[in-house]
Amino acid sequence: MVGDTRRGNKLLGFLEERFALSTLLHLAEKKKVPIHRHSVWYYMGGIAAIYLAVQVVTGILLMVYYVPEIQSAHASILKINSQIDFGWFIRSLHSWGANLMIAVVVLHLFSTYFMKAYRRPREFTWLSGLLLLVLCMAFGFTGYLLPWDDVSFFATKIGLDVAAKTPVLGGVIADLLRGGEAISQATISRFFVIHVAVLPICLLGLLGGHLLFVQMHGMSEPDAFKNLPAPKKTYEKFFPNFFFKDILVWILALNVLFVLVMLAPWGIGPEADPFGAAPIGIKPEWYFLSMFQFLKLVPPMIGPIEGELFGILLMGIAALAFAVLPLLDQGQSKSISKLATAYGVIIAIAAIALSVWGALS
Amino acid sequence: MNYPIWVVPYLGGPWVIGIISIIHIFISHFAVGGGAFLALAEQIAYKRKNENLYNYLKGHSRFFLIITTVSGAMTGVGIWFSISLVSPDGTASLIQSFTLAWALEYLFFVAELATAFVYYYTWDRVSKETHLLLARLYMVFSIMTLVIINGIITFMLTPGKWIESHNWLDGFLNPTYFPGLIIRMLIMAAIAGMYALVTSSRIPDPHFRTYMVRFCAKWLIPIFLLGPIVSFWYLNQIPQAAVQTIFTGIQTSGLGNFSILARALYLSMVLSGTIILFAFFGPYLNPRGFTFRIAILFMICGLSVTGTTEWMRELLRKPYVVYNYMYSNGIRKTEVPDIASAGFLNKGKWASALANTPECKADPGEVVYRYQCMSCHTVDGYRSMKRMIGDRDEESVVGFLNMLKEKDPEKNPYHGIMPPLAANDTELKSLAHYLAGLNGKADGSAPKISHGAQTVH
Repeated sequence: MVGDTRRGNKLLGFLEERFALSTLLHLAEKKKVPIHRHSVWYYMGGIAAIYLAVQVVTGILLMVYYVPEIQSAHASILKINSQIDFGWFIRSLHSWGANLMIAVVVLHLFSTYFMKAYRRPREFTWLSGLLLLVLCMAFGFTGYLLPWDDVSFFATKIGLDVAAKTPVLGGVIADLLRGGEAISQATISRFFVIHVAVLPICLLGLLGGHLLFVQMHGMSEPDAFKNLPAPKKTYEKFFPNFFFKDILVWILALNVLFVLVMLAPWGIGPEADPFGAAPIGIKPEWYFLSMFQFLKLVPPMIGPIEGELFGILLMGIAALAFAVLPLLDQGQSKSISKLATAYGVIIAIAAIALSVWGALS
Repeated sequence: MNYPIWVVPYLGGPWVIGIISIIHIFISHFAVGGGAFLALAEQIAYKRKNENLYNYLKGHSRFFLIITTVSGAMTGVGIWFSISLVSPDGTASLIQSFTLAWALEYLFFVAELATAFVYYYTWDRVSKETHLLLARLYMVFSIMTLVIINGIITFMLTPGKWIESHNWLDGFLNPTYFPGLIIRMLIMAAIAGMYALVTSSRIPDPHFRTYMVRFCAKWLIPIFLLGPIVSFWYLNQIPQAAVQTIFTGIQTSGLGNFSILARALYLSMVLSGTIILFAFFGPYLNPRGFTFRIAILFMICGLSVTGTTEWMRELLRKPYVVYNYMYSNGIRKTEVPDIASAGFLNKGKWASALANTPECKADPGEVVYRYQCMSCHTVDGYRSMKRMIGDRDEESVVGFLNMLKEKDPEKNPYHGIMPPLAANDTELKSLAHYLAGLNGKADGSAPKISHGAQTVH
């Protein structure tokens, strides 16, 4: 027993000398997490991270068998689903995991928004988080085409056609993504490279920065907590207290993913036929549904402007305001603070209502 | 086939039983495990003269009493109500085979209820020794209800020698009786421990809260570790055909063609592993940080394990209600050849009377559907017949139903998964006419069935 301890000490000493573990531990212990009635939202970032880890591992495994070639893409997914041992499991983890990750990132974004976590000095944490959501949606958009089935083909086609309407660079970006005027082999190749190389590199950099900002500035405190007298404020250490609770939440998050995978494994539709008719009632993934529904509601022409272009411009302005308004709300003006909150509520309600409407219509 | 049948649209009768049963299982297991927890915890409080623990137990037992006596009793009656409507032949068979066991079960249940009330209302009114005795008495009575019902539940999957002897003790002490009993005791103790975590997480004194949370974790971890070992023993005792069904499901599941049984097994395994990790990283390593919300989530996880495992056990028994004896549609295995030659509507007492009414005479296929298919299928809800029939016309439905009559697994891939169709040729055609008609693919009018004996006994 004593020998074991000595061996353990020796090993710890070895690691300490090379990796300065005590400094890392000190850093982790120094970080403290405020305890209040909204503390549950502090777990969202961790859940998103665990789902991201699932995406990385399953994505690498899927790459072993996926063939990004127009004649073989659909067949390779079919092979993964029906011939590779537990291929269906890995693919379902990847597909369900992607949806859950985006859902959690959206929740994370809105929770930080309403808790005013974007205020000085955390402006860049907010902006990097916003960009991370855009990246996640880009992952979803590029990954959606890769199985090359009927729905994914036409949904991508519609998505790129809409993107092409964006003024100035829209057409160029759509052509670049498509690799021409129509969705073809070039599109699959480009989407694949973007999905497995370009976006992950961007994500790594951006996520690194985001986590660094979180570490630098610590956990944000909502006004109600910040204004409490010091003796009434309670905190817990990030390590080990919050970290152990984080592990429990990760376990639960993984459980939700496993339940979905087991009860509703991800399927695949018939192979895409670029010359065939689009399936009736085709819709994009849920996270694009509110935008899709909004564009459907806009009349074909608004004055001299084309309806879709008008809709895109309006959504662009709304999104820009959502990103910038928080930067103006620095806590000094109550009216700006209320305006920011009201704007967030409007955006959230509009997004939910349009998505539900889109799903039901 | 000898009783009226209850039509539950969309959801189907089995899900009505399933929903009530799963709630009852949670509550009844909690009642038994909670009894053991109360007795053991009170024993510790008595030995250590720990007033904190006594006070905690008083609060803990209030909700325990309400949940177990009110909800437990209501859902228990609900099970009887639903099984006798959905599966009257199966229920009759269980009552007739285990009359004495049911009587004993009822006796212990009444004793359990009475003791629970006396236990709760005598806090601070009788001596600590007497109260501890009451706790132990409650534990014994509640365990006895399990000891008896377990014999009947396990009988349904592994009737053992009863199939030949029809001696109730052979059926009662069947091959899975003991592993089933231990598994259920573990589940009960686990639910009790998880519930105790919920109440412990609300203790105001932080030191005592930490003590109780870790106490519960120490109670739970050995149970969670023993669970998989006893489950392995249990799986070794179940019929080979059922084991084969699981393993076929697992082998094909690797390739995506998995059975619901294999998926239920995976889910049960994943969730079981999860709760071990949860108990270790949560209440054991970090008892101070174990909050009420986390305790509730933990409870949900644990109940999901129980629910999934019970679901898997039910699936294992398919297509029987009593394995190798009575099919899920209430037809005894030995009756099938006789019914196939004489005709189903001439055999079943209520079914034959129903088929002879003017409403059913025009389309007797629906009567056959209700008695033979509806125990697992609905028209357009769960396991929808409309969806399963799809684009098949009447002729191909006839071909499909003929395949269901085959006893050779090579010719009938549904052998061992669905009950064989017990009907003569005319009834088969009239059933096909009805099923094809669900999607508007029936030809002409329904085949006429000539009834033999029509008397209702």
